[in-house]
Amino acid sequence: MQSATDQIKQWILDRHAEVSDIEPDFDLLESRLIDSLAFVEFMVLVSRLSGEDIDMESIDIDDFRTLRRIEARYFGAGVR
Amino acid sequence: MLSTTTPRPEREQRFVEILQRLVDKSVDEYYNPYREFDWPETLPSEMMWMSDDLTSTYGTEIVNELTEAQRQQLSRWESINFYSLNVEGIRELLVEVVRRIHTRGFEIPSDFFHHFVGEENEHMWFFAEFCLRYGGKIYSGPKLNSIAHEDPRVENLLVFCRVLLFEEIVDHYNMRMAGDTSLHETIRQVNRVHHEDESRHIAFGRELVSLLHADLVGDLTPGQREEIEQYLKRYIAFSLRAFYNPQIYRDAGIPDPLGFRERLLAEPSRRDAERRAVRKPLAFMCKTGIFADDVLPGI
Ligand SMILES: [Fe+2]
Ligand SMILES: [Fe+2]
Repeated sequence: MQSATDQIKQWILDRHAEVSDIEPDFDLLESRLIDSLAFVEFMVLVSRLSGEDIDMESIDIDDFRTLRRIEARYFGAGVR
Repeated sequence: MLSTTTPRPEREQRFVEILQRLVDKSVDEYYNPYREFDWPETLPSEMMWMSDDLTSTYGTEIVNELTEAQRQQLSRWESINFYSLNVEGIRELLVEVVRRIHTRGFEIPSDFFHHFVGEENEHMWFFAEFCLRYGGKIYSGPKLNSIAHEDPRVENLLVFCRVLLFEEIVDHYNMRMAGDTSLHETIRQVNRVHHEDESRHIAFGRELVSLLHADLVGDLTPGQREEIEQYLKRYIAFSLRAFYNPQIYRDAGIPDPLGFRERLLAEPSRRDAERRAVRKPLAFMCKTGIFADDVLPGI
């Protein structure tokens, strides 16, 4: 069973054949691995995996910036 | 439509003539939107607010899990979501057009842009009015700035393709709902009034996109051409996904709204409905050569 962070990473890798791995602190938004067209779907993925009801209108975009921040905010810090 | 090999002056002449016709029509058909609608106090909740075949559950088995009351409730939020998408989309296109009006390279369409901006401002008003009166809110999503392409000519093409694709998809919904006698007259009217203005905007958008593309295509590498096609196809997929806003399933009181949405998206029959919504703009993009084929990607 893959961890949530691994599943999230895999979701991104599936959409970017040119990328082989993503470091925990790599900026997903600045690098456009997640761009404005993919962001809603990405947020839904995090919400489903974490079981947390994410309010689309009041989220902090920075919480989605790196794999580490996503893990800290939605999957309990330092689990890994 | 002229081909990309037609000489520039000829293409430009055609563009000038069409624009003049569209500006004249816009002046002739001018109306006061603030007086055009009589907004009833409430709309009945025991009826569909969106044509059945336009709802995101249409054609699926999953729709049978809902009672008639739940279907009506969901159609209400789908309807509010549709006008909210318009409010959001118009904000973006107004920003882009206002940024370009009376600037170099846009001398010819600037006169038309005045009508476009004025009309879109009014559309945004009546769509927002509908959402706030009958839904108590306008749906919005996270704002992640899309970064402009480094080549301004490519960026211009992408911007006006996005505007056109958005208007064509919206028009598919507008035309159907304007003609659907089972819907409330206010809903039909909003859709009808919008469709009438949009037929000019779409005619304009097709001409402008053809012209921008013809000016650019000779200078593109195959890789750049491919990049433009893939980006715009993703934009289409993104626009279609916006009709499955997770918030509508939550507001309709459906348990596990995200799971429900996921199951809808997984239904092959939804691809048929989505293709119907984008049939015309896809055919146009293929005909101009901006798209090599009509295969759409996932998100
Ligand atoms: Fe409009
Ligand atoms: Fe328009």
